[in-house]
Amino acid sequence: MKLQRLIMVLILLYGVVPFVLNGNNYVMSILVASLTIAGIALAWALLGNLGGMVSFGHAAFFGVGSYISALMTMKLGVPVPLAMLLGGIGAAVASIAVLPALRLSGPYFALAILAYAHIFKILATEFASITGGSGGLLGIPALPTLFGYNLGSKLGAYLIITTIVLVFAFIYSRIRNSYYGFALRAMHDSEDATRVVGVHSTLLKALMLFLSAFMTGIIGAFNAHYINFLEPDYAFQSGWTMLPVVAAIFGGYRTLTGPLVGAVVVYSVDQLILKSIIPSGHQIVLGALLGVMILFSPDGLMPLLGKKLGRRRAETVRTPQTETIC
Amino acid sequence: MLKLDAITVQFGGLTALKGVSLAIGAEEVVGLVGPNGAGKTTLFNVISGLARPSGGEVFFNRDNVLKAPMYKRARMGIGRTFQIPQPMHELTVRQNLLVAQRFGTGKVNLEKIEEILTFLHLEGKADRDAAQDLSLSELKALEVGKALATDPQLLLLDEVLAGLETASKRAFMKTLTELHQKYRISILIIEHDIETISSLCRRVCVLNYGQLIADGTPQEVFSNPEVIKSYTGGGA
Repeated sequence: MKLQRLIMVLILLYGVVPFVLNGNNYVMSILVASLTIAGIALAWALLGNLGGMVSFGHAAFFGVGSYISALMTMKLGVPVPLAMLLGGIGAAVASIAVLPALRLSGPYFALAILAYAHIFKILATEFASITGGSGGLLGIPALPTLFGYNLGSKLGAYLIITTIVLVFAFIYSRIRNSYYGFALRAMHDSEDATRVVGVHSTLLKALMLFLSAFMTGIIGAFNAHYINFLEPDYAFQSGWTMLPVVAAIFGGYRTLTGPLVGAVVVYSVDQLILKSIIPSGHQIVLGALLGVMILFSPDGLMPLLGKKLGRRRAETVRTPQTETIC
Repeated sequence: MLKLDAITVQFGGLTALKGVSLAIGAEEVVGLVGPNGAGKTTLFNVISGLARPSGGEVFFNRDNVLKAPMYKRARMGIGRTFQIPQPMHELTVRQNLLVAQRFGTGKVNLEKIEEILTFLHLEGKADRDAAQDLSLSELKALEVGKALATDPQLLLLDEVLAGLETASKRAFMKTLTELHQKYRISILIIEHDIETISSLCRRVCVLNYGQLIADGTPQEVFSNPEVIKSYTGGGA
């Protein structure tokens, strides 16, 4: 059943979507952007759900990943795929600076990491000789050509970001269902309950931070080579944190699919529908939608759908029995 | 096996433990009693690494473990339960034990997990949500089970019988006696009920206002005038 569902999703993502939407550049751009946000949302949820840390600073990892990858290709001539990997590693290394904040929890950690994101934005602006300063970097090498196919096209970018997000989802799922995942989830309510049985909770949390930063850095690197331009105000903008947070919470950040579905739904609805109805200030509706979701289904959209579908399935199963009895 | 040397713990101006020295040998079962606020749980926190003393040393198997964090002490063989059960949320009973075993011993032995589940009469609840579907006595059994899964040499039981009704308490006491016979581990148990502690332990230590005021057989300790005074409201 699970395998069937997975095959259907793969056919949809790699077959139906490209076949139906290829040629419609506007919709494909929105899809690529929503999957970019989905990738960050998944990385954010990994830190939130498994690491138990609410981050308002993922823009820092996104920005660091994008700048490192862009600079590697522009200044050192590193091939784009390797540069993207180095962007991820760079973001993970940059997250070491956040390690002291792991002693904090809840809003204190969130504020500490928010401040950290601002520091990186200032660094990117001030080190103008390397980063181009507030003028930014122009002409960042595009995504490469593979077997004669230009991955820098809308469809190519879609296929790359889809693959990246699916790989991340697979990694997240494997960790979530491992002993490490069990211990990490158990740490939410009582860290002492896990430490007393030998869990090195600080190390596990640090590993989740590195992984989350790595994933976000890769997404940032992808984006840099997709749009071919960077400036600090763009690469480190709070939107790279807030939109994924909204998407993850809307979709259900404690589930695997929640952040992904949340990102696609939130961003697509916003850009394709709300923006055309309310050109200025359309995000207000998103805020209201999130508020409604938190009020009526704090666990998010996917758990809500799961409950509804579960109930419907149960009713479907019950109905024939009732008829037989009658 | 365990040796505490002049342990002192201060919380601001309050002295929770004052120069407590205590040794526990292999396979010994020792009761730790004292009025509320005497420092019993604080002593457990010091032994398990949850609290850092302001003075004194903690030796386990002759190693000074004072600077070892809680998770390392668990891996060394110091298991403990909490007064208020702390099941690992979102996990089943079996997963609770598996996590404890995997991290406490570094390996997974499914047979041992099933053995612990059966021994603690939790086999029927093995796949239930540990935080939501267990009664108090089952939660207490799970606390013991998690500690057992780490393969401890010393087990610290913090009021593991508190709050249980008489029948459950009797059954649990029987389980604890069998546990000691089966696993041959040292046990230090905090318990308020004198009758219970007398039947479980051959040695009892008494804390009062953070000081060790008696250490001996239950008969010796509970006939000690200072102990009686501490229980009837007189200070140290």
